[in-house]
Amino acid sequence: MERTPLHRRVAYMRRCLFDQGYLDEQFVQLEDLQDEANPNFVEEIVTLFYTDSARLIHNIEQALQNRPLDFNRLDDYMHQFKGSSSSIGAKKVKSECTQFREHCSARNAEGCIRSFQQVKQEHTILRSKLEAYFHWQRKLDKQTESYPELAA
Amino acid sequence: MVSEKIGFGNVTSTLKTMKIIDTEKKISVLIVEDDLLIQKIHKVMMTKFGTEVQLATNGKEVVDLFLSGASFDLVLTDLEMPIMDGIEETKQLRSMGVTSMIVGVTSRNQDSEIQAFMNAGLNACYVKPLNAEKVTVVLNELKNI
Repeated sequence: MERTPLHRRVAYMRRCLFDQGYLDEQFVQLEDLQDEANPNFVEEIVTLFYTDSARLIHNIEQALQNRPLDFNRLDDYMHQFKGSSSSIGAKKVKSECTQFREHCSARNAEGCIRSFQQVKQEHTILRSKLEAYFHWQRKLDKQTESYPELAA
Repeated sequence: MVSEKIGFGNVTSTLKTMKIIDTEKKISVLIVEDDLLIQKIHKVMMTKFGTEVQLATNGKEVVDLFLSGASFDLVLTDLEMPIMDGIEETKQLRSMGVTSMIVGVTSRNQDSEIQAFMNAGLNACYVKPLNAEKVTVVLNELKNI
């Protein structure tokens, strides 16, 4: 039950992430894996995703500078990126990855370059939203620790 | 677009309601995955289902493990991995006489790709990511063997 303003804020932020299409059911699966044995599991996984995806973004950026474009290599990189995005429930990022791969299949260089900008944009937007969400979630956890009677 | 799985029936379950199969001995699972993010997710998921988990990062590690005498009730294996992929790994395990349940977990979703993986000797194949529902089906199937 949402009892304090902080509870309501965190719940609202979470609801928005799903309602606005940033996250899908897979994120709920990750939340379900978080417990006393893995108390920060979701945040750890998201952090790992952003570390890993930074590497993939760099690889794709490098590959996009080659002429002619190696569409097979680009598709491979984006396939990995899409897989990781899918694993954390990053719905919009995954969708943009799919677009990119369609441009690869069509050997559309301009389409690839354009859609890669969309991938990066959604990737950045989601990171900032998740960082904010985790920030407030941590505040809520501290409140719960200090005042267990307020726990949801 | 291929169906989400090949091989086993459907069951509805969530992690919150899951109850691992009654066994006196923990089910041993070998997770074969080179992507550390997905490896971590699958490891925590399978551990939460009460199984005992070991990790490998490519097919050759798996083959070497079995050659050294290790055995597992279940092998959950990715398709695309360096050194030795899931197809070659599965073929080698089956030709070695390994009868463990081998389930493919891949991000490839074309019919032809999944069928090629199945033809290597899998018991079932799922498109990533794994979730509680898929794991429940696999573990129930294992219990029924």
